[in-house]
Amino acid sequence: MQQFFIVLCLVLMVVAGGAAVMLRSMLKSTISLGVASALLAAVLFLLGAFWAAIFELSVCSGLITVVFVSAVSLTNSDRKDEEHVKEHRARVAALPAILIFAGASLLFILFSHDFNIVISSTPASFAAFKEALWSLRQSDILGQIIAILAGTFAVIVLFKERDNI
Amino acid sequence: MITFATISFLGLPLLAILLLNVVSKKTGGAISISVGYVVAIIQMIAAVVCMALLWMHGKDFIEFSLFWDMNATLGAAKLSVDLFSLVVLFCIGMVSLASLLTAKKTIGEKTLNYTNLLMVIMLGMNGIAVVTDLFSLYVFLEITGIASFVLIALLNDKRGLEGAFKYLVMSAIASALILGSFALIFTQTGSLVYGDVAKALADWRNAQYAPLLIVGFVMFIAGFSIKAGIAPFHGWLPDAYQSAPASVSVLLGGIVTKMAGVYALIRVLNSVFVAMPMINNTLLILGLISIVFGAVAACGQKDFKRILAYSSISQIGYIILGVASGSLLGFVGAMLHFFNHATFKTTLFVNSAAVEMQTGTTDIDQLGGLQARMPVTAVSSILAFLSMAGIPPLAGFWSKLLIIIAVWQSVSAVGGGIALAASIFTAAYFLILQRKVFFGPLEDHLTEVTEAKGTISLAAVLLSIVTVAFGVLFPVILNFLHLQGIL
Repeated sequence: MQQFFIVLCLVLMVVAGGAAVMLRSMLKSTISLGVASALLAAVLFLLGAFWAAIFELSVCSGLITVVFVSAVSLTNSDRKDEEHVKEHRARVAALPAILIFAGASLLFILFSHDFNIVISSTPASFAAFKEALWSLRQSDILGQIIAILAGTFAVIVLFKERDNI
Repeated sequence: MITFATISFLGLPLLAILLLNVVSKKTGGAISISVGYVVAIIQMIAAVVCMALLWMHGKDFIEFSLFWDMNATLGAAKLSVDLFSLVVLFCIGMVSLASLLTAKKTIGEKTLNYTNLLMVIMLGMNGIAVVTDLFSLYVFLEITGIASFVLIALLNDKRGLEGAFKYLVMSAIASALILGSFALIFTQTGSLVYGDVAKALADWRNAQYAPLLIVGFVMFIAGFSIKAGIAPFHGWLPDAYQSAPASVSVLLGGIVTKMAGVYALIRVLNSVFVAMPMINNTLLILGLISIVFGAVAACGQKDFKRILAYSSISQIGYIILGVASGSLLGFVGAMLHFFNHATFKTTLFVNSAAVEMQTGTTDIDQLGGLQARMPVTAVSSILAFLSMAGIPPLAGFWSKLLIIIAVWQSVSAVGGGIALAASIFTAAYFLILQRKVFFGPLEDHLTEVTEAKGTISLAAVLLSIVTVAFGVLFPVILNFLHLQGIL
C-alpha cells in the first residue's frame, strides 16, 4: 500500500513539475513548483528520509515558493499579447503527451518484477518527525527563519524598490 | 553564559530586524544606523566577556543550545564557542561597526534596507562561527551568500548588478561543490556533526568507499577556495569588491569573504578532516600561489578597490599558509592574521570610501597629492599598509612572523622563504598606491577636496588605534597565551 502511495506521489509530482514548465502564468507556474516540492517531501517522508523531507517541505516548498510569489507579484510581468497566447497553446498541447509518457513509465516501474522500492526500516512517524525538527536540528530552524528574512529583503531591494524608481 | 551567548550573537540582530520593521518606514530609516551601532558594539563586548568567562572557567570551549536544552538529545547539533570563534565574532562586530560608520555618509536613502541586510549577514556569519555540524554550516553559508549578493546590488546600478551576478554565479558553483562534499561525507560516515564525522574519518583509509571520501575532500577544498577567493579560484572577488557600494566593500573585504571561506574552511579542517594529512600539502600549495599571485596582480591595478581586492587574495594566502603548517604556532599565527587582516583591510576600504566620496573616483591615475587635503585618511592608510606589509611593531608584523616561522620549522624552508619574499611585492603595491593617491603634487581638479569628516574619519581613526595598540601590546598577548598553555 505504501509503495502505491509513493508511486502516486511521484506521478503527481511529474504532473505538477510539467505544469510548472508549461503554464504561461508565472504565478501558477510557481505554485505548481511548490506543489511538486511538497509531493517530493511526501515521497521522502514515506521512504523514511525524515530530515530530507523536512527541509524539502520547509525550504523548497515553503521558502522558495514564498520568495517566487513575492517576486512575481512585484514584477507583474505577465504578457497577454496574441503571440504569447499562441505560444502558450502550443506548450499546453504537449502536456498530455508528457503526462502519458511519465505515467506509463512509472506504472512500468511499479509493476516491474525486478523493481522494489526500498523503504527505511524506521517507521515514518510523527514522533520521528518531531524529534528531527525540534530536538536534533534547532539551529536549522533559526537558519530557515533568517533565510526567509534574507529572501524577503532581497525581493524588496531587487524588485519592489526597483519598480518605484 | 549559554543564555548570554545565544542572546548576544543570535537574538540581538533578530530583535533589531524586528524593531526596524515594526515601526514606520520613516522612523525605521532614521534609527536604523543607530540600532546597528548598538548591535555591533554589544557583539564586540559580548565576545570579550565570553573570552573572559572561558578563561575564568578554564575551558577550551562551551557548548550551548539555541532555543531549549538539548543535552538530553543524543546526536543533536549543538552550538559552541571557543577562543577562535570568539575572536571572529569580535571581528564581525568590529567590521560591521566600521561598515555602519561608512554607510552613514555613503549609502543615502537606503539605510533601512542596508541595516536590515547587515543584520541578516551578521546572523549568517555568527551562525557560521557557532554551529557544530556541516549542514547547519551550509545553511548559514547560504544566508551569508544571499545577503552579500543583495548588498552588492543594493544601489541597483548596472555596475553593482554585474558584480552581484558574478558573485552569485561563482557562489552557486561553490555552494554546489560544498553541498556535494557534505553529502558524500554524510553517506560515508552517517553523521553531519563535526565530532562524529571526525571519529568516523579517523580510519578513512580502510573505509569501504575511501575514493568517494577523497572526491568529497577535493570538492570541499574547491568549494571553499572559491568562497575564500584563494587563487586560482578568485575570479569573482575583484569585480564584486570594486562594484559594491563603499560600505558593502568594507564589509566584504573586512570580514564576509573571510568568514564564508577562510573561517569555515579552517573550522571544518580542524574539526572534521584532522585525520587526512594530505590536506596540509594541498593548502600549502594553494596558500603560496595565492600569496604570490595576489601580490603580483595588485601591482598592476589602476583602481584603489581592485588593489585592495588583489591584496586580500594575497593576505588570505598567509592565513591559509599558517593553517597548512599543521602546527599550533601556525594556527595561532593564522588566527591572529585573521584578526589583523580584518582590522587593516577594513581601514583601507574605509579609506577608499573616503577618497571616493570626496573625489568621486577610485582610479589612482586620476588621484595624487591627497595627503595635504585628507591627512587622517592618508595617515591611517599608511599605518594599515605598513601593518599589512609586516613592518614592526605593527600588528601585521607579529602574525606574519609566527606564520613564516611555523612554515619554516614544520613544513618547508622554501615555503617560508617564498612567503617572506612575497612581502616585497606587498611593499611594492603599497608604495605604488600611496605615491599615486596621497603623495606627489596635488592634481588641479583636486584642489577643492577636503577631509571626509565625521563617521568615516572616526572609523579610520578607531581601526588605526587597534592596529597600533595590538602591535605594541602583542608581546604581552603572546606571553599571556604562553602562560595559559595555548602556545
